[in-house]
Amino acid sequence: MDREAEFRRLYEANRAAVHAYFTGRTGDPQSAADLMQDVFLRAWQHLEKLTDMPEDRQRAWIFTVARNLSVDAHRHRHTQAGAEQALAYEPARPSQPASTAVIAAERIAVVGEAIRGLPEAQRVTLTMAAAGGMTSAELAAVLSVPAGTVRYRLSLARRAVAEALDRYDDLTEK
Amino acid sequence: MSLDDDIAAWAATVRLPDAEAAAIFQRITGTPAPAPSVPPFPPRLDPSWWRHFTADFTARMVASTRPVRQAA
Repeated sequence: MDREAEFRRLYEANRAAVHAYFTGRTGDPQSAADLMQDVFLRAWQHLEKLTDMPEDRQRAWIFTVARNLSVDAHRHRHTQAGAEQALAYEPARPSQPASTAVIAAERIAVVGEAIRGLPEAQRVTLTMAAAGGMTSAELAAVLSVPAGTVRYRLSLARRAVAEALDRYDDLTEK
Repeated sequence: MSLDDDIAAWAATVRLPDAEAAAIFQRITGTPAPAPSVPPFPPRLDPSWWRHFTADFTARMVASTRPVRQAA
């Protein structure tokens, strides 16, 4: 397999998870895309070493780089600024009957706001599960926590989102 | 709409679009790959070469000084 094809396989297998990880960390999909590019640029530069590894170790390597970049980004206050603005929206204040599309957009905004307000560990876990399509076992491996901890974080995060949606539904019914 | 549907709808808004992912891929693979590491040149001699060389040389010297056995 040539170098680019090998890299494509690695990229396609991990890009959604890495992007979701950074989205959870920063709260900002665009900053997440920039950081994801940095991670995969390093993977491209170290591809010979990576191709000798089994897939689970490749993913572990990628997430080690991602964690380090995330820490660096925090130090430079880059991601923090993104997190403050990320998914920011005006809370829904329904004053007149809204169309189905508007309600759907508002519900998405309510979910985004609720996720933005979660503790970081819950936010990252939920974002990786929802946007990265990762299972509890996969999350446990890349986040280096037990699978039970992952499920607990997901449960707390989902409850917080559900409560936010309940409040929104109460508002819209009045 | 279920909670899962709401979360999935939100996830779709933050997920990286395929076109952007493809553009990032192109940018990365457009950068030159690092040069493969090459062994130092000239290659270093095996540390035992001198011992082998001198042993071989000595053996040849000894052999060359032996009287040639005359054919009967």
